Amino acid sequence: MSRLVRAELVKLRTVWSTWVILIIAVAFTLPGGLLVGFAPHNNGIRHLIFPTEGTRAWFDLVLSTMDVVLDLALILGILMVTGEYRHKTVTPTFLYEPRRGRVAAAKLFAAAGAAVAVAVAGGVAGLLLGFGLVASGHGNIAEMLGAFGHVFPGVLFATVLFGVYGLGLGAIMKNQVAALVTGLGASAVIEPLVASTVPAVGRWLPGEAAQALESVTAHAIKGGHGGGFLTGITGLKLVTWWEGALALLIYGLVFVIAGSLTTLRSDVT
Amino acid sequence: MPDLRLQGLTKRFGSVLAVSDLSFTVGPGVVTGFLGPNGAGKTTTLRMLLGLVSPDSGTALLNGVPYRDLPNQTRAVGAVLEASGFHPGRSARKHLLAIATASGIDRTRVDEVLAMVGLSEVANARVGGYSMGMRQRLELARAVLGDPEILILDEPANGLDPQGIAWIRQFLRSFASLGRVVLVSSHLLAEAAQTVDEVVILARGHLVGKGRLSEMLDRQAATVRIRTPEHEQARLLAALRDAGFAPGCVNMNDATTVTVQGASPEAVAPVITANGILVYEMTSGGGSLEGLFFEMTEGAGLGDMVPGYSPGAVPGYVRGGER
Ligand SMILES: Nc1ncnc2c1ncn2[C@@H]1O[C@H](COP(=O)(O)OP(=O)(O)OP(=O)(O)O)[C@@H](O)[C@H]1O
Ligand SMILES: [Mg+2]
Repeated sequence: MSRLVRAELVKLRTVWSTWVILIIAVAFTLPGGLLVGFAPHNNGIRHLIFPTEGTRAWFDLVLSTMDVVLDLALILGILMVTGEYRHKTVTPTFLYEPRRGRVAAAKLFAAAGAAVAVAVAGGVAGLLLGFGLVASGHGNIAEMLGAFGHVFPGVLFATVLFGVYGLGLGAIMKNQVAALVTGLGASAVIEPLVASTVPAVGRWLPGEAAQALESVTAHAIKGGHGGGFLTGITGLKLVTWWEGALALLIYGLVFVIAGSLTTLRSDVT
Repeated sequence: MPDLRLQGLTKRFGSVLAVSDLSFTVGPGVVTGFLGPNGAGKTTTLRMLLGLVSPDSGTALLNGVPYRDLPNQTRAVGAVLEASGFHPGRSARKHLLAIATASGIDRTRVDEVLAMVGLSEVANARVGGYSMGMRQRLELARAVLGDPEILILDEPANGLDPQGIAWIRQFLRSFASLGRVVLVSSHLLAEAAQTVDEVVILARGHLVGKGRLSEMLDRQAATVRIRTPEHEQARLLAALRDAGFAPGCVNMNDATTVTVQGASPEAVAPVITANGILVYEMTSGGGSLEGLFFEMTEGAGLGDMVPGYSPGAVPGYVRGGER
């Protein structure tokens, strides 16, 4: 099994999409944080009780822009399966390992590992941004590191689960475009819609479950319950962090297993 | 000794019976050709052998076990397949490295096989920039990465230039001469005739012939074709039957051709001269693989399997409709 996982990591390492994803994780977090920190009135969240610059809550808000890594891990997970079908490398893959469940399991571990790398890239960018802000006189280092310690673990955990969730989506859909549209469309459009109309269901959806997980860390922002700035917009009452983690884990595993039993078992012609 | 055994292999795609109750074995030390018209079921059969397509019934055993139960697939079996792919952004070396990693094969073997197929110089270039022939070579390099005992190839000559084709012929021969198994499907009959020792012929998913190519050609050579003017045909048929050729073997092929099966030109020519029959042309069945192939797969094109499809029902080009 470890060989299969290593082979998946070789595959990831040797395509440009992986590197583009890592670069975006950094390239988005840096300016994103600045935008949120300094231009709140231009980004649609002006109705939030905006925290004072330099406070822990402000750093929480600034650093939470690194949660773009969730969607990036989702994309990476989707590509890991659908790329094989798109480029027909699934034939050599199933030739070296005809027990397809084992291939799926290896991809699961590799996706989780790659998601850690994506989250770390976002985290490093967040830290750089934080140090930059401190160095330029926007708050002190203790508040910044405190906020980072809040935000990052939740993001890391949620990103790993999103990578597996993406893999599962890819495994049941097989078609790259369809899986990307579904995965990103769900998190950008469908889930917020459901969340605002049927919150009882909506708060269990992947994106909202992930927010619950992230907001373990970002409590400070709205006080009481509530998480990142997106939660502030929807005003959704989130599930607890461990419920969110469990829900995401179930999405990922159920999709990966369902894919292994259906799509991945079909004839490769 | 490595071998392949197919037993009652059957596969249906919807209403199309792609492979039907197919049984044959392939032994080591020879190159076995797997021939059949388009849509005969060659690719489907090879993919079933390799566990990529699951048969509706029947078994395919490699060294006595199904593909998935081999201890290390890459080391036991190499396969060159048509619709196999590469990530265009990955180099040949990295493509093979991933497979070597998965199969526990030393990475020095990667460079070895790349050199073997002549891709060393472009090993680090993106496969997206490769020509079709280069991709086919890479596919072959992948197949032999694990130094397998069994090689299964689907149209390996596709996209290769004449040198490439000659090269692969040598390659398959030397591989087989090590006492290993080679099963190779091909459309190129002239090429196959030079490469293979044994043939398995498939038509409409059914096995229609199998044996040593040389023996099959000897048998097939015993067909004589005689072209005459139309008005001589009846006389010729009668003369041949009178001369003792079995009536079932003497046939009218069309208005101007008579065929005599199980005969040699030496036996037929005296009958013609003795009766003073005018003949334009006499050929003996040629002993060509092509002749054998057409004889065995006659009327077994896709047309019989897929309603409405009849390749070459009317040979030749058909012009677009009149305006
Ligand atoms: N995935 C599929 N879905 C539906 N039908 C299929 C599929 N794969 C093959 N077939 C059908 O099965 C039959 C056998 O196809 P196959 O590709 O095995 O033939 P082949 O002998 O390899 O032909 P060729 O010489 O053209 O490569 C054909 O009628 C084909 O249309
Ligand atoms: Mg084919």
